[in-house]
This record gives sequence, C-alpha cells and structure tokens, in this order.
Amino acid sequence: MVKYFIKYNKILLISIFCLTFTLFAKQGNTAEDVNDPFEPVNRNIFKFNNHLDDYFFKPVAKGWREIPDIPRKPLSNLATTAKTPISLANAVLQLNKESIGNILGRFLINMTFGLGGMFDVAGTREFGNVPEVEEDFGQTLAVWGVPDGPYVMLPIFGPSSVRDAVGLGVDTVTNPLSFAYRMNNIGLEARLSGPAVRGVTTREKYLDYLDEMKEGSLDFYATMRSLYRQKRRKDISGELEGKDLTLSMLPVDEVYEEIDSTKNETVNITTPIDNVALDEKKPNTRYYNGVLPSSNYPAFNESRVNLIE
Amino acid sequence: MMLFRKFVLVVFLIAPFNSYSDENIEQSKFFVENLGKQVVEKVSNVNLSENERHVNFRNLYLNSFDNYYISRFVLGRYWKRLDSDMRKQFVKSFNNYIVATYAPKFKGWQGTFKAVDSLIENNYYNVKMNVLNEDGPTLKLMWKIYLDKNKNFKILDVNIDGVSMLVTQRAEFMSVIKNNPKGVIGLIEAMDAKTSG
Repeated sequence: MVKYFIKYNKILLISIFCLTFTLFAKQGNTAEDVNDPFEPVNRNIFKFNNHLDDYFFKPVAKGWREIPDIPRKPLSNLATTAKTPISLANAVLQLNKESIGNILGRFLINMTFGLGGMFDVAGTREFGNVPEVEEDFGQTLAVWGVPDGPYVMLPIFGPSSVRDAVGLGVDTVTNPLSFAYRMNNIGLEARLSGPAVRGVTTREKYLDYLDEMKEGSLDFYATMRSLYRQKRRKDISGELEGKDLTLSMLPVDEVYEEIDSTKNETVNITTPIDNVALDEKKPNTRYYNGVLPSSNYPAFNESRVNLIE
Repeated sequence: MMLFRKFVLVVFLIAPFNSYSDENIEQSKFFVENLGKQVVEKVSNVNLSENERHVNFRNLYLNSFDNYYISRFVLGRYWKRLDSDMRKQFVKSFNNYIVATYAPKFKGWQGTFKAVDSLIENNYYNVKMNVLNEDGPTLKLMWKIYLDKNKNFKILDVNIDGVSMLVTQRAEFMSVIKNNPKGVIGLIEAMDAKTSG
C-alpha cells in the first residue's frame, strides 16, 4: 500500500499544483469570458482529437452500433456498473444524499434483478425509473468550492478544465477497482476494458448529434467549449439553467426601446425593404400601430418612454 | 381591526392578478406543447419536400421566436458597434442561418411533448418540458418565453438539459468574430456561405 502511495506521490504533487493554479487563475465573470488562455494549444489538440475521432473512434462507434442489442447493451451496462464505486465515493465526499440513494439503489437493483449489472432494470418504470447518476472528483472539488479554472483540451479525453482534469487523474488513481486489479496483477487490457466500453458507448450515443453539430457550426471548437462549460455547470449545480444566464438576459423592453429609437431610419414605408426583412422586424406590432414598442412588454416603464419621445 | 381591513383589501386587490397569472401559466405550457406538435406535423414529416420543410420551419421560427432579441443577444457587445443597416443585415443573415441549420435536423424527428411546469421569473416564463422519445431517453427542455401586450408568447431561449442555445450561439459567434480579421462582417459572410452552401 505504501509502495503505491510513494508511486503516486508525484501525481499528488502535480494535482496540488494544478489546484493551486486553478484557485488563483482569473475566473470568467461573464458569459462572454471564455477563460481559455491556452487556446492556441487547445485548438491544436482539438484538431488532433478530431482526426483521431474521424479515423478511429467514429468507425469503432459505428461498428459498435451494428452489434446486436445482446451482447452490446449488457456490456455497456456492466461497464457503467463498474463505475459505481468511484461515483459512490464522490457522492459521499459531497455529502449528496440524493445521489448516494440513487447510486446505491441502482447498484442493488441491477446487481440482483439485473443479473449482476448486465441489465439496467433500475431505469425501468417497474423499478421506479431510478436516474443514472455519475459523480466524479471534479464535481466533488466544485462542491468544495474549487473554481473550474482555465479551459483545457485533453488529448483523447477531450474538453475539460484544470479542475476537472485533476479530478479525472484522482478518479483514475483512486478507483477501488484499479487497486483491486493491480493487487491481483490483472493486465492492462482488462483494466482498460471498462473505460474503453464506456467511451465507445458514449461516442455511439452522440454519433449523429456530433456530426450534425460539426456540419452546422461556424467554429466547432468554440461550440464544444461552451457546451462543455454549460453541461458541467448543470451537472454540478443540478440546475437546468445557470444563474449567470438569468442575470445576463437582456430585458426585453430595453431591446425594443432600441428599435423604437431607430425606427425612423430602419423602417420607412417608402424605403424598399425586401419582404423577409419586413417580416423579421415584426412591423404589425412594433412599428405601425402607434403604440411604442416598449409598451408591449411586461417591464414597460412609461417615464422611460417619455424621455425617448 | 384596521389592520384586518387592510389585509382583506390587499387580498381582494391581489386575487384577480393571481388568477390572471395562473391562466397565463397554463397558456405558456400550452404554447410550447402546441409548438412541439406543429414541429412534428409541419417540419418533421418525412413526406415533405426539403423546400416545404424549410418554409414551414422558417414560418414557425419567425412567428414563435423573438428573432430580433435573439439576434441582439448572440452578437453580445458587438451589437452596439453596428449601424442600423448592418444590424438589419445581421438579423437577416442570422435568421437564414438558423433556418438552414435547424430545418433539416428535424426530418423524421418524433417525440411526445409534455410541459411539466411553468415558473415566472423576472417577467419571463420558464416552461419546463419533457420530450418523451420511444427510442431514447427523455429529453428535458426549458423554454424561456414572455408574453407581449398583444397576448402573443415569444420564445427567447431553449435550454436542453442544461445547455442554453442562446449562450452556445453567442459563444460561437464571439469566437468567430475574434478570430476573423473582418469581425462582424466576416461572421455575416460565414453565415451566408453556410446558408448558400
């Protein structure tokens, strides 16, 4: 045991350094602040990951999709069940009673009625639709108040942050199953089988979605960065919408006061504007009815409108 | 006794507004459920031609979403630097881009829409919705909508499992503008190129 501790001492030191860096790093305050100081490097890694995805992970995921439900689903379920110890440990560290209950509930139901975790019966209506919960050390650090820090793109693993990358390292090293494998001299192939199956299953799940997103996106890197940040925030806070969005929402009346102040120059009946532009500017309600646009909205303030007039 | 009278008066004054709000809450749920049904009928239908799908989606988008507000939000701080012509050009290109990007994605898409809750926050209605899909997991959406004076609901944002479409779009556009020497004009050109391609 001591031998393993010494072996991973360096990892521990690196983790502490990264966390310290994260704590003192500049934090993004607004939705536009992307906190990505390593962007050039990250973009290169992203490009590498995309090539790897195109030539390896995507074909593997497509092949995985072609495998019949049995054995594909039982293998995926087993790989998910294998992650239970680390999720449970993190749920305990976060003192998250709901997550502890769901993780334990799912584990017990699937291990018994699901034939050792091969079938996900806990997620069925008959067993109460117990939700699948995954907790990791990145989330635990967030609950403990560690900010996410700069955005980093990890080779193979993809989008992350300094905090979450540390969390990933700690989860990998401290996973009780990894300890058991090492103690019993189980080979690397067997140790990697769980993460590999989980990775392929996840890639297969997003196969069509990612392709569509890549196709329609003007800057796929920026889109992925934003998606990652928002998704992590939701996973950590449990809230469907981040508070920063609510705060950064523009008041609707303010937007339409702006239209009103420029209506003479933007919309003039004698000025030819193509139909689409007229349609998009909502002339029926905003411009020609003699009512100031801002008065259409709940936060209408008469005195403000008088000032404009 | 005076205090009690004041209390009764306040209750009577507030009561009509509460019932009005409750009615709007139900209508906000109906609005998004109905929109979901229309998407399945008019956009997802596999028998439609691509042009019909495109036109139907465009109409639904322009009628149900506040496209001016969305355009302004996604352009962030750059909006104020544009003159009115450029703003008009941006709104037009952005709407075309949204329609061209999303309309084809709905082809053959199926789901049952169930609005589960609607909460009022800062004059917005946050309508939570579950999209039940036979083949996949339930999708959790949240619509941010408001009610204008003409009693028309308008959508400002769609949040899919914690991911806001507004925030994602703005993050992407900010990056495109930052990395393009032509700035907003470069963004408009990139959108037009996607739309025409």
